[in-house]
Amino acid sequence: MTDRPDPLSETPDERAFLERITPALRAPETLKSGFDDRVMEAVRAEAPIRYPGPRAPWWRRPRTVRLSPLAGLGLAAGFAGLVALGTLATAGRFGPAEERPVATAVDTVHLVRFAISAPDARRVALVGDFNGWAGGTELSASAVAGVWTITLPLPRGRHQYAFLIDGVRWVIDPTAVIVRDDFGTETSVVTVSGTGAS
Amino acid sequence: MEAPSDAALVAQVIAGDAEAFALLLRRYRDAHARFATRMLGNRDDADEALQSAFLRAFRSLAKCAEPERFGAWLYRIVINECRTLAARRARRERSLVRDAATLGTLAERDDPVGSDALREEIQHALDGLTPEYREAFVLKHVEELSYEEMAEVTGVGVSALKMRVKRACQRLQGLLEEAYHD
Repeated sequence: MTDRPDPLSETPDERAFLERITPALRAPETLKSGFDDRVMEAVRAEAPIRYPGPRAPWWRRPRTVRLSPLAGLGLAAGFAGLVALGTLATAGRFGPAEERPVATAVDTVHLVRFAISAPDARRVALVGDFNGWAGGTELSASAVAGVWTITLPLPRGRHQYAFLIDGVRWVIDPTAVIVRDDFGTETSVVTVSGTGAS
Repeated sequence: MEAPSDAALVAQVIAGDAEAFALLLRRYRDAHARFATRMLGNRDDADEALQSAFLRAFRSLAKCAEPERFGAWLYRIVINECRTLAARRARRERSLVRDAATLGTLAERDDPVGSDALREEIQHALDGLTPEYREAFVLKHVEELSYEEMAEVTGVGVSALKMRVKRACQRLQGLLEEAYHD
């Protein structure tokens, strides 16, 4: 059996053609003067960028579970209880409870899973605008050593939160978007939409 | 003193030292200037595409999964920026038609290979290829990448790339012959 020539290989004619034209095409090109300065100026204008950490392992990624309005109604009631507890503790500081977001019965409730790795912590609380920053929502130690988790029903919208470790240490979620509040404190953000949390 | 590696510079930038990005910029800017110019046909567009590519690379540096292979990662961004700019330019229907009389004059001259005029003429023919063919041809015969490297930076399979290079070569030959016989 004879080998057939590869139909995609160069023919002698094409090789000669390429030898004629490629030296001209391979000549170096320069950009307009000041290129580096222009790029670095733009870079400096954007710096410092808060780069997100590496992709979190599956057990640390926020998860959402969509529930029917009926099932959500029950959960919303429970959630309203949680919010009410936070309200009692902080009403004087944060204003009337009705100003804070609460799950509503008319919308689908989204379960959002929060997780953080804190191997040395004795207790971890979730504080956020959804519980009046009260710190009463404690995370449970998960099956993975050092990892604390909690799943909460949250209404649609943008929620700011952070973790409070051992009641004293404020830690932002390294896997989430980070913002700075009016007082310069960094908090994490989760956005709950119709398609899930991000 | 040994120059810092790409990975070290990437780590420095991510840690907040934006000035370290200037070293990456200087290291790769010239290599990509030629690719972008061949792809887009002129220095202004190449400049625009590369500015945009470097800025995009800076913004998403944390997504560079293998910082020691920053060059290949940046190549993908540059290719995408060139594709985007070329598509935008096509939508604007910017005319790339050059003065045909110039080509006629060139045909009668025995220009040495590498002269600006010859390069301009070949570039004009290159502009006549579809973006896909031009990209494959430039990566193979100008940037001298292997097909495997081309597949990595373009996301296109090796067989398809071989076919594009072959067709690009034939089409380019035809376009240049037409120019000489006009």
